[in-house]
Amino acid sequence: MRKVVDVSLPIGPIHPCFKEPCRIKCETKGERIVTTEVELGYVKKGIEKIMIGRPWQETIFLAERVCGICSVVHNTVIVEALEEISGITVSRRAKLLRLILNELDRIQSHLLANYSYCYTIEHETLAMYLLNLRETAMDSIEMMTGTRVMSAYIVPGGVREDLSDENAAKILDATYTIETELKRYVKMFETGPMIGLRSKGIGVLSKEDALASGVVGPTARANGLPRDARKDDPLYLEMGWHMILRTGCDNFSRIMLRFDELFQSITLIRNGLAALEPGKIRNGGDMKAGRVKHTIEAPRGDLTYEIEIDSSGQVVYVSIQTPSIPNIEVASHAMMKNLASVADVTSTFISADPCIACAER
Amino acid sequence: MTVLQKLKNAVRKRSIHVCYVNTGSCNGCDIEILACLAPKYDIEQYGIYVHNNPREADVILVTGGMSPQWIDKLPDLWDRVPEPKAVVTIGNCPLSGCVFNRPGKLIDPPVSKYIPVTASVPGCPPRPSEIISTILGAADDLFRDYEVNHNENKENKGKKGGSQK
Repeated sequence: MRKVVDVSLPIGPIHPCFKEPCRIKCETKGERIVTTEVELGYVKKGIEKIMIGRPWQETIFLAERVCGICSVVHNTVIVEALEEISGITVSRRAKLLRLILNELDRIQSHLLANYSYCYTIEHETLAMYLLNLRETAMDSIEMMTGTRVMSAYIVPGGVREDLSDENAAKILDATYTIETELKRYVKMFETGPMIGLRSKGIGVLSKEDALASGVVGPTARANGLPRDARKDDPLYLEMGWHMILRTGCDNFSRIMLRFDELFQSITLIRNGLAALEPGKIRNGGDMKAGRVKHTIEAPRGDLTYEIEIDSSGQVVYVSIQTPSIPNIEVASHAMMKNLASVADVTSTFISADPCIACAER
Repeated sequence: MTVLQKLKNAVRKRSIHVCYVNTGSCNGCDIEILACLAPKYDIEQYGIYVHNNPREADVILVTGGMSPQWIDKLPDLWDRVPEPKAVVTIGNCPLSGCVFNRPGKLIDPPVSKYIPVTASVPGCPPRPSEIISTILGAADDLFRDYEVNHNENKENKGKKGGSQK
């Protein structure tokens, strides 16, 4: 029998396709990838360990720095968890402002994810278009909060700053700009023959694997699994949110699902801006001791914080479960199995939108 | 100055290859570097190309406060970068560790303990325009007349060695 030579091929930690350091070990058989394994640990900072024993005020900005791409959602979830412990109520205007900022953050995160994918499959034109469109969303975030990344906009009891009517009108204009531009780019992506060759039927996550694993977020919804934490949020349902599903299970449907969600985010922002009424943006309250587990939907999936504070206001226990942890595992064990070429490894990995900083904290 | 040196100066000014190394940052600085690529800021009009390959880089952008995994790997990576080379650190983390430098920390800042740093951009995270202006400022000073300065340094070192004997 002819012997087939297996080569173990490492990709990373510094690689042109990756924003963050991680190493993918590929077991190859010729050009075909048999199995892959993702090796992490390059950006471990021990944030949970630092948080324990600190006052709760310090955990808010530490939580924000778990991940730079989705800093708004980390800020929201820890503040909502602290509010739940102490029974602090939030006014309707502040809740709507939180929703608008979270959806703007989702727009820039999804655009960045799709930019990374287009860059990885070497379609640099579309990648640059998407990155330029992201700047429109970043400008809206800057207008609303005062800074581009790490805004610390959400504080216990409400939000830090009010949104003026002029700025609300500018954000509304930005959503129209994003919608008209995005329609063109989605058509380019959907009908591009070379993009189809690199995306359709590649990186297939089977239904059994998806069910057996804890896959969350757009990766799950592109497999037809209705997993979205927003379905339990009454404000989102009031603003016209509905579950978006695709059943392609491959790279193409994951990217197309993110495009679909971008249009939904635009609608949610418009409905939120229309529903804004004048009112208080910040309520007061006293912090109490207690333990709570809170989940909301981050751009990449369900984000859960479990936090316990004692009567003196110190954090006794904190545990952060980020959506990238299951998604990276699924990508390495189920999606990147039996791929046709080494070039598909990076594109399949990026299509799951892995955030290494989130996963390692 | 020779004609060749003038030519080298002119070419190097508009051809700066950049590689970014995340040594334990939160992604915030990395996405601001990516934002520099966008047509709004357009880093390539200044002749700066982001390749992310240390073996063909001129400038290494370090973001992050040295996680334990990078302590032996970063000096190793620095050795593989061809001369002339420079390090520009982005953000607060490579300078001080920012919010992660607290009791019970895992990181070990600053980055200048491990590799020589030419310039730093503080901020959490700094704006893309600040990153571009720092890379241009640092690279221009460092790469101008590199061969002339480098050879003089070598000769001076040789003379010193001779006199000691």
